[in-house]
Amino acid sequence: MTDLPAAGAIPVTPSPSRSILETDARTRARNRAEARFRAYGLGALLVGLIFLVLLLGSILWNGMGAFTQTQVTLPIELLESELDPEGTRDPAVIGEVSTFGYNDLIEASLARVVADAGVQTELDAGDLTDILSSGAAAQLREAVLADPSLVGQTVTFDLLAASRVDGYVKGRVTRESLADDRNLSPVHLDVVDQLRDAGFVSRGLNLDFITGADASEKRPEEAGIGVAMIGSFYMMLVVLGLSLPLGVAASIYLEEFAPKNRLTDLIEVNIANLAAVPSIVYGILGLAVFIQFAHLPQSAPLVGGLVLTLLTLPTIIIATRASLKAVPPSIRDAALGVGASKMQAVFHHVLPLAVPGIMTGTIIGMAHALGETAPLLLIGMVGFVASNYPGGVVEGFTSPNSAMPAQIYEWAKRADPAFYERAWGGIIVLLVFLLLMNLAAVLVRRRFERRW
Amino acid sequence: MNDMRLFERAAAVDGVKIRAQGVNVHYGAAHALKDVSVDIGDRLVTAFIGPSGCGKSTFLRCLNRMNDTIPAARVTGTIALDGQDIYDRRVDPVQLRAKVGMVFQKPNPFPKSIYDNVAYGPKIHGLAKNRAELDEIVEKALRRAALWTEAKDRLQSPGTGLSGGQQQRLCIARAIATEPEVLLMDEPCSALDPIATAQVEELIDELKQNYSVVIVTHSMQQAARVSQRTAFFHLGNLVEYGETGQIFTNPSDPRTESYISGRIG
Amino acid sequence: MPLGWLFLLVLLIAALGYALGRRRALAGAGGNLRAMHSLPGAYGWNVAMAVLIPSLIMLALWTALAPFVLDRMVAPLMAGQEGEISLLMSDVRRVADGLVRLGEDVSSVQAEGLRDRLAEVGVAVGQDVSDATLAAAARYDVLSARSGWALTVLVLAIALGAAAWSLRRITPGLRARNEVETAIQGLLIAAALVAIATTVGIVLALISNTIRFFQVYPASDFFFGATWSPSFGGGSELGILPLVWGTLYISAIALLVAVPLGLLSAVYLSEYASKRVRAWAKPMLEVLAGIPSIVYGLFALLTVGPALLVVFGDGGLGWMQGGTAVITAGLVMGIMLIPFVSSLSDDIINAVPQAMRDGSLGLGATPSETIRQVVLPAALPGIAGAVLLAASRAIGETMIVVLGAGAAARLSLNPFEAMTTITAKIVSQLTGDQDFTSPEALVAFSLGMTLFVVTLCLNILALWIVRRYREQYE
Repeated sequence: MTDLPAAGAIPVTPSPSRSILETDARTRARNRAEARFRAYGLGALLVGLIFLVLLLGSILWNGMGAFTQTQVTLPIELLESELDPEGTRDPAVIGEVSTFGYNDLIEASLARVVADAGVQTELDAGDLTDILSSGAAAQLREAVLADPSLVGQTVTFDLLAASRVDGYVKGRVTRESLADDRNLSPVHLDVVDQLRDAGFVSRGLNLDFITGADASEKRPEEAGIGVAMIGSFYMMLVVLGLSLPLGVAASIYLEEFAPKNRLTDLIEVNIANLAAVPSIVYGILGLAVFIQFAHLPQSAPLVGGLVLTLLTLPTIIIATRASLKAVPPSIRDAALGVGASKMQAVFHHVLPLAVPGIMTGTIIGMAHALGETAPLLLIGMVGFVASNYPGGVVEGFTSPNSAMPAQIYEWAKRADPAFYERAWGGIIVLLVFLLLMNLAAVLVRRRFERRW
Repeated sequence: MNDMRLFERAAAVDGVKIRAQGVNVHYGAAHALKDVSVDIGDRLVTAFIGPSGCGKSTFLRCLNRMNDTIPAARVTGTIALDGQDIYDRRVDPVQLRAKVGMVFQKPNPFPKSIYDNVAYGPKIHGLAKNRAELDEIVEKALRRAALWTEAKDRLQSPGTGLSGGQQQRLCIARAIATEPEVLLMDEPCSALDPIATAQVEELIDELKQNYSVVIVTHSMQQAARVSQRTAFFHLGNLVEYGETGQIFTNPSDPRTESYISGRIG
Repeated sequence: MPLGWLFLLVLLIAALGYALGRRRALAGAGGNLRAMHSLPGAYGWNVAMAVLIPSLIMLALWTALAPFVLDRMVAPLMAGQEGEISLLMSDVRRVADGLVRLGEDVSSVQAEGLRDRLAEVGVAVGQDVSDATLAAAARYDVLSARSGWALTVLVLAIALGAAAWSLRRITPGLRARNEVETAIQGLLIAAALVAIATTVGIVLALISNTIRFFQVYPASDFFFGATWSPSFGGGSELGILPLVWGTLYISAIALLVAVPLGLLSAVYLSEYASKRVRAWAKPMLEVLAGIPSIVYGLFALLTVGPALLVVFGDGGLGWMQGGTAVITAGLVMGIMLIPFVSSLSDDIINAVPQAMRDGSLGLGATPSETIRQVVLPAALPGIAGAVLLAASRAIGETMIVVLGAGAAARLSLNPFEAMTTITAKIVSQLTGDQDFTSPEALVAFSLGMTLFVVTLCLNILALWIVRRYREQYE
């Protein structure tokens, strides 16, 4: 305390005594700075939330249209002379009539309806069918083959309208935008308007979008996300079946048994880094190892699932380890104290207590995997692949398919507003799944969460 | 300093610096402080003693409105500094805290240099017009905190690099650099070793020449060594308040006697 | 025998082994549990695991390696150039698969018209089937059937042998539980090693193909070339510089958006917001983090791009030619990274001890002075780590740039122009059916290698900084 005398020698200047009831200019300025800073923070938060609202709004605004579809209701005379001249009613015989045969029936029916409704138009019957989907004939043929007894009757069908007509009914397509269109002319829209007034053109719920298969580039009105959904489902089965046991086993080893040594350190650093490796790199891994090297089938949900397993494994390991760590050591000590082996203590006592945490982590990891796109592009799960339902469980894993996010990408790439609508709609479906999964995770956490 | 001086210590009161009347503090549903009234004298060391959780730190934090930073805390009653209610709507706690400084239990130097630690308060309150004035304020504060000789050659090195006792003296220097009128100390020695404690206690004795010092301590010996007035808190109540000598030698309340003789606490 | 049945059979043997082992142990001890070292179940498991582990390893190894051996044995039947042979062999495998599906006697099948018949059973072959291919395919089928039988016999022999051996070992004194536990621990270690295997797989896949790339394309041209113009006809220029520039430019814009917004939101949420606001706003912001990047990609392509075009395009300021541009991708990526930056910063700001804040507030500092002059400087290293992690995310992000940034590789300073990135080019070079021996496809692996190395360094650095920062306040 050598310098205490020196301290005492310093003359004390009494602090300027001002009343605390008056705020001085400097404090007011500082308070203004305080308010500004607070406003910046609130502003930043609000900007983030506004982006969220814009994003969700944009998805709903653009995507809801995919869930309805414009139909043209036509009474079609299924002429026996055209479809089954011998009157056999044998599907094999009727099956010989190609879609061209049905096209004629549709054309005739449409011409009749147009004439009966008194529609004024200079278009001939052949041109008029442009307002229908080019898949309408196939739709008709399928219905007849499913029920040959319809032949010879006049049956009313709801046929899909062409995507441009659908766009017009939904307000996406205008007469101006059709000026240079090769598929449809503004004159067609006059017909559509009149048919609509007469009740032949209507907009109905589009369940086929949720359950259907992808359609070729010419027929956006037929495209659905159902098959891609099945692809995603099989991939998730693979991810769940592999990443859960592997992740839990790895976590148990690292958290409970691993000695503190170089190898353990290496594994730990490794997992932390794998969690941050760009997903596209996993795609390259999948392409090189599973397809180039192991000759697994391209575009198969099995391969997609394997890649996504490797991708989610670090997430699940990190979550599982956290929940194992949260189980207090006293539980282990109690088990060991009554003579259980280390293994028994872990599997009988620690693991059951960590289950809620593991479940939450797994669901979150799966949700992440469900939305992942980039690696799937490299293993061929994109393109016109989700066109057929898989025939069975094995085929579900091995036959080419897409996945929901890859299908959305595929539609976005086709550069047609009708497919864009599909892509937005697909996003709604995808987000509903993600929402449900996250909700499940939250519920599991709420229901079972235990604080020690 | 030895305990024999306790009886000789002048207990002249220049006047009342802080007058607290009927102060109650609630943390959510918990009633932490019950109807406390205390007069804190100018240029004196006042000690708050009592068992853990008795409300002494809570009361200390009321004196410069640090409880405002805890959303659940609710303070009622009046506390007047120089006759002005510090919970008045017109009072800016920022301005109040410049007058009523605080030193905390654990030394908490900022992750800055020693110089910047001490200069922080004067800078934000605009006490220095230029660098030279600031240098002067920093030197004066470090000298008064008995840290100048140890720190003058390393002013630009980080404050976190000092020893525990030095860190706490740095925090005291930091608090007195803003020229407060009252200095609140919340168990300032509980994290220090005996030698560092002795240094800080000596410093407190010096400081009372210029400031009113209020010190919360769990050590009765410390209260006896440094303070002129002592208040004993128990379960949120102010049990007894008076001259330190009287409290320690002839307490009027049986609870005080039990605590001092080591039966409760 | 199909693999599935073989697998089930092995399981059955293991289950039987369990029952027998249990019974034998009990019988040996005369039903007296105290005379046994372990619980009866442990003896059962001992047998079951002795059956399962070696036979399943055999099954897996054989299944993985058999195709290579078969290829080796069949390849001499096909005449072809070095590069061609792999394409020919994939045809052979397809035809072989098709022949099995046709279910006819191989010797009677004619090569002519085979392609159409295969197509009917769902096997698409690239070209008409030649006699050599047919012969090779037939040979392939014969060998593959033999391999299947050999595998079946081998696996069953191993399973039964192991069961017999381990059953004979059972005595009441056998330390069955310890053996089972050792085996389980081995399995746990194996699971943990999958993480290492993944990294090794990534590194091997990238390195081997990168080496092959540098054999057909000079490495210096790749690393220092300023032109990117792949053409599958040959004569490509594959310089990475324009892609690196595009990647860095877009990432920089993304960080410029995400870091201030994320950091300020984190500060607001952790220091100012009331409990109720925090309980609502934090999860809402995190919704942004849970949205898949394909959604952001579409948002960039169809919403943000056109919106920017209205302001900066020909109708407005005239700076922008198309909706896909550096600014579009950067902005949307920034939005995606806001919650990432904010939740990391939130953790880091909360790690700054409350005593530090009290010290500052106790001196009469306002909350904002406390944050700017005490909390943020104290948290700076941690925040730097968070920004590095965000940068690594931005560099590796794929879908937003594939859809939102454009496809043209260009070295330009104008953020309103379309540019492309490393990730986008990996996708474009590797999607579709490609010949993996051409430099145009192989370059993607070198791009991947570059990406992997850069993000790995960033991650390691960031994780190290963050870890050291946390230790400081623990």
